[in-house]
Amino acid sequence: MFDKILIANRGEIALRIERACKELGIATVAVHSTADADAMHVRLADESVCIGAPPAKDSYLNIPQIVAACEITGADAVHPGYGFLAENARFAEILEEHQLTFIGPSAEHVRLMGNKIEAKETARKLGLPLVPGSDGLISDLEQAKKVAKDIGYPVLVKAAAGGGGRGMKVAHVEDELEPALATARIEAKTAFGDDTVYLEKYLVHPRHIEVQILGDGEGNAIHLGERDCSLQRRHQKLWEEALSPALNDSERNEIGEVVASAMRTLRYRGVGTAEFLYENNEFYFIEMNTRLQVEHTVTEMITGIDLVIEQIRIAAGAPLTFAQDDIHFNGHAIECRINAEDPRTFRPSPGTITHFHPPGGLGVRVDSGAYAGYTIPPYYDSLIGKLIVHARTRTECLMRLKRALNEFVVDGINTTIPLFKSLLAQPDIADGQYDIHWLESYLARS
Amino acid sequence: MTQSSGSPDKDLIRELAELLKETGLTEIEIEVDGRKVRVARNVTVAASVGPGTYSPETARPPREHGERGAAEELHHPGTVVSPMVGTAYRAPEPGAPPFVEVGSQVAAGQTILIIEAMKTMNHIPAPHGGTVLAILVDDGQPVEYAEPLAVIEKG
Repeated sequence: MFDKILIANRGEIALRIERACKELGIATVAVHSTADADAMHVRLADESVCIGAPPAKDSYLNIPQIVAACEITGADAVHPGYGFLAENARFAEILEEHQLTFIGPSAEHVRLMGNKIEAKETARKLGLPLVPGSDGLISDLEQAKKVAKDIGYPVLVKAAAGGGGRGMKVAHVEDELEPALATARIEAKTAFGDDTVYLEKYLVHPRHIEVQILGDGEGNAIHLGERDCSLQRRHQKLWEEALSPALNDSERNEIGEVVASAMRTLRYRGVGTAEFLYENNEFYFIEMNTRLQVEHTVTEMITGIDLVIEQIRIAAGAPLTFAQDDIHFNGHAIECRINAEDPRTFRPSPGTITHFHPPGGLGVRVDSGAYAGYTIPPYYDSLIGKLIVHARTRTECLMRLKRALNEFVVDGINTTIPLFKSLLAQPDIADGQYDIHWLESYLARS
Repeated sequence: MTQSSGSPDKDLIRELAELLKETGLTEIEIEVDGRKVRVARNVTVAASVGPGTYSPETARPPREHGERGAAEELHHPGTVVSPMVGTAYRAPEPGAPPFVEVGSQVAAGQTILIIEAMKTMNHIPAPHGGTVLAILVDDGQPVEYAEPLAVIEKG
């Protein structure tokens, strides 16, 4: 086991990792920028090292400084958290070259899953279901018509070089295919200098469902059920729950086993998440995250397993603590992301927290580095904490969430707390009837 | 505060203590006629680097005004801060004479320290010429980003 872990992150996740280290009896080193000298992750760590100026590229993304911080403190492993360097294969390699352990998968797997095209190709080989589409590029209208007929309308014309929604057009019927193809090509040419496009089935009302897995890197892997993260705004998750209100046990076990089996074949090491769109009882692979996720907490609540402790044990070379049969899902959990943002405009709201009173009681967990008097620096993301509630049923969980949100006091800045209170009054939320577009259309309506 | 030999020169110490307050420095060491005098004051600096032992502890309280990261409160315009994390060395190699001593005259660009990071020796140049008023790190001491290394009075 490691003697000392350096945590290359900040905020609530740095604190989350420190907690796991302390329970394992491992000393912790916090690194921080000059803007975070007073942050809770620095105050709770056994040691701390200032590694640079406030911009992330000068501190939390500054690999030489982080390696030097390992050298002067004698840390033998690095936990990257999420974001920053968590999915940087080069960082994993550099640590290895310095005889330091990267607490995560192999650099090879980080790189493989970080490349959109290679990730999909790998997923296909591993037997994960993909969004049906043209296997390659579309050369002419006749070919497009044939492919669209095979996969079924509506279809999406996508720029091969695309991103950010540009060069994407939907055709609901065959007549719309020709103009969609032409427009997508022009947009792609303008935006990316490349007018090659391909076709994909367009999912109208999908949910975002992701499967948590745990692998030992030796060919053993288990799944820990799914999380439903459909409530998103501009691809930012705001509310996550486990288990998904949309799946039944047989669907759950089936997709879980498909992913776990793929991870056994890949010989994947550590925690990872396969993300899917889900529509009409079908799963479609989007991407794999080769790291701990923000919303890992809801999985912890329903399984009783500390994912960070498992992650550290595996990185130290230990076998999996659990077999698939040991995993039982107990009750329901919901996480709300408390962001320092205006709850209506979502404009960031940095500033000083004047009063901070987190909720408590049975089944209530708050992961946060915030405290009264804490000034939220403007340089980083707006997540200041996560409220996680757990109860025996989803209905009890919603009541508990309402109670906890009403106890939560964060004064001096704007937060997303009022948004979650208003969501709880929506029948669709109570019924679990929502897809990835629900939140944006609710915000547009209200 | 330590003293190598003889009786304490109270006036000198008082003078140094005043200087300490004025400059916001944490420590001053001078050597006169073979007698070394060092005055230091307690400041909670952001760093607690070095071989630490694991101890379950409660959160350190937020620093009060006046004890923030040393870099922010060091108002002396001649303060040289570390541009990187690493291990500071005062001499080019073990046993060699130090690059500079308190009282040395330095030219802009002259090496005053070396910081070793990732097995690379980084020379830290004097940003301006003048007199070395204080050296704030020991040989072999780990330093963090923006940690004050020395004070060079412009002149």
